[in-house]
Amino acid sequence: MHRTARTASAAIALTMAAGITACGSSGGEGVAADKKQTLTVWAMGVEGEKLADVAKVYEEANPHITVKVTPIGWDVAHQKLVSAAAAGTLPDITQMGSSFMGEFVELGVLEPVDTKTFKKDDFFPAAWEQGVADGETYGVPWYVETRVLYYRTDLAKKAGITKAPTTWPELQQAASDFQDKAGTKWGISLQPAGLDAVHSWYPFLYSAGGSIVADGKAAMDSPETVRALNEYGTYFDKGLAKKSFQPGYEVLTDFNSGDVPMFYSGPWTMTGINNDYPDLKGKWAIAKVPADKTSSSMAGGSSLVISKDSEHKEAATEFLSYLTDTKGQEDWFKRSGDLPANTSAWDSGELANDANFKIFREQMETAQSWPVLSQWTEISSKADDAISQVTQGKASAEDAAKKAQSEIEGLVE
Amino acid sequence: MSTTTEPAAEAAPVKTGPGAHPPPGGRNRGKRETVAVQHTAGWLFSTPFLVLFAVFMALPIVATLVMSFTDFGLRNVTDPFSAEFIGFENYTKLLDDEKFLKSLFNTAYFVVVGVPLTVGLGLFVAVLLNNGIDRARTFFRVGFYAPVVTSIVAIAVVWRFVLDPADGLIAGLASEVGLTSPDFLGSEALAMPSLIVMAVWRNLGTVMVLFIAGLQAIPPDVREAARLDGASTWQEFRRITVPLLRPTMLYTTVITTIGYLNVFEEPFVMTQGGPSDSTLTVSLSMYREGFNFFHMGYASAMAYVLFVVIMAITVLQLRLLKDNTK
Repeated sequence: MHRTARTASAAIALTMAAGITACGSSGGEGVAADKKQTLTVWAMGVEGEKLADVAKVYEEANPHITVKVTPIGWDVAHQKLVSAAAAGTLPDITQMGSSFMGEFVELGVLEPVDTKTFKKDDFFPAAWEQGVADGETYGVPWYVETRVLYYRTDLAKKAGITKAPTTWPELQQAASDFQDKAGTKWGISLQPAGLDAVHSWYPFLYSAGGSIVADGKAAMDSPETVRALNEYGTYFDKGLAKKSFQPGYEVLTDFNSGDVPMFYSGPWTMTGINNDYPDLKGKWAIAKVPADKTSSSMAGGSSLVISKDSEHKEAATEFLSYLTDTKGQEDWFKRSGDLPANTSAWDSGELANDANFKIFREQMETAQSWPVLSQWTEISSKADDAISQVTQGKASAEDAAKKAQSEIEGLVE
Repeated sequence: MSTTTEPAAEAAPVKTGPGAHPPPGGRNRGKRETVAVQHTAGWLFSTPFLVLFAVFMALPIVATLVMSFTDFGLRNVTDPFSAEFIGFENYTKLLDDEKFLKSLFNTAYFVVVGVPLTVGLGLFVAVLLNNGIDRARTFFRVGFYAPVVTSIVAIAVVWRFVLDPADGLIAGLASEVGLTSPDFLGSEALAMPSLIVMAVWRNLGTVMVLFIAGLQAIPPDVREAARLDGASTWQEFRRITVPLLRPTMLYTTVITTIGYLNVFEEPFVMTQGGPSDSTLTVSLSMYREGFNFFHMGYASAMAYVLFVVIMAITVLQLRLLKDNTK
């Protein structure tokens, strides 16, 4: 830590003494982009493995740059990043999950992004928002995900459902039709309790126009939020969704067996069904989230960030441009199947022509992400509690919302 | 530390002293020098351990104590010395914290039911394996011990399958006889007992191995004498085996209790503390406060409350189960 800090300050002092003649872009200290150097990159899970291949291609085109990619498991990622931040040993570039961002902004270890190089309008609005905290942009969106409605078309036919539900009443009707006419065990699968139950609830929350925290203030007891909570609860009241929760529950098993005809999930589930349940081919479809006020789902995904202590900010910025421009994003989609955050990558090829990807794109346009706050994990856990109170029939939506409201107020102020 | 190394270092020169060549300056001074050399050697030999102990054990323990009196949070991760001292505020807050009190209750439940079950069943199995079962003894020993060395993740997968209310093992057996199986992990009343059963199964092996060792140390002539006097099997067990196993019993009880008071993995992988916090234990709650929410100061205070509880219970057990036969 000391050595990097010392070299970094030495570098800053040197450039300052030289009067900064090199270039006027932000992040001017450190090594210039055209010098020989090594970029260190940390990426999580599958992305970490796939990114190494991209790095090789990049190295060939830019022989003076060596990119060292370290894959990190998602399960240890948070711990590792926090300890690296504490020790001042973060790599030049880090993949940042949307739920981590707030903490690392708070830690003050991220370099603001050059908004001249990376333009807000190139990306999905909800993807860009994931990197913005207190009006400053810290992350460049890399890939996105959003949740849509998956349903069994063969069972829908049996139940007399002719088109995908588009509104809340239609969704509830469909769920009970599946149960009554097609004989499915449940009408829909929604997470009743446990960590991150909010993720399953977001499509309801955002479609109702509600939020957990709005403009820096707790908004759990707003009429829209309560309405969404109440609607979510009715599925459990009426026995349309399973009340008990098991960590590690795999919905696809029940989707395959026909016990669960509908659920919300992200793009990875398409791959999951195709790979693991080939028998389901032609028996399922996806649809946009049924609307209340609007049809709005949750947006997730990952951004890429540059460390404040990095000495290779210029080269890092160039590498990030490479990864997030149209070509880089198309290439990344082909390699990983992750949905591009850059909208221009959706204008051609499979992403533009495939019906399912069209639905994902439309959903992504209106999707919303949660605010970038350092206490977000704790705030969302209060919402998890409220959801479980309602689904287990222990409190009304109003009471659960009120309790969560007072707890979250204590956290954001 | 010094109390344990010094006597050994002092005792050594007495034996080797006469054999060594004393320098001409006089016996006394020579002895003192040898002692000094021995001391240095002793300290040098224990340095690797001492360094590791100081860095990875003593320092964190002290740091946690200090931290528990501060408001150490996320911001202090990069700047630890800016944390503010807030006295006993963390501790007083703990007393009003519903979640913490609930987690204390859950942990107590786990220990009070789990420890006697584990020790009792462990003893039962050990006695069976020691005299009852002759064939395939190794097979059973390995079988009972296997869960101890199996990773908790693998165990969780298997147990989820066993307990699954829809197509689990128990549900399958129940449906064979026309019953419906309850939702073990999804029910507030059954989640904790299910975890206790799993923990007992998992920790039985350790207790069993210790008891088998203890049983084999009981001299056969004592048993023989009892039998000659006409003692029944139960009397032999009650009057001979149990009293002579007392030291082993004490050790296993203390170790199991400490382990169970720290229970973390079972609820972490099986229920995440749910449903409705019915399996939230102190350690799990502490982990969440510390690593998910970054209330390091608060989590440290929890750790020290748990430490004091463990300490108190251990001392109590050592008192109550003291070997009175000597």
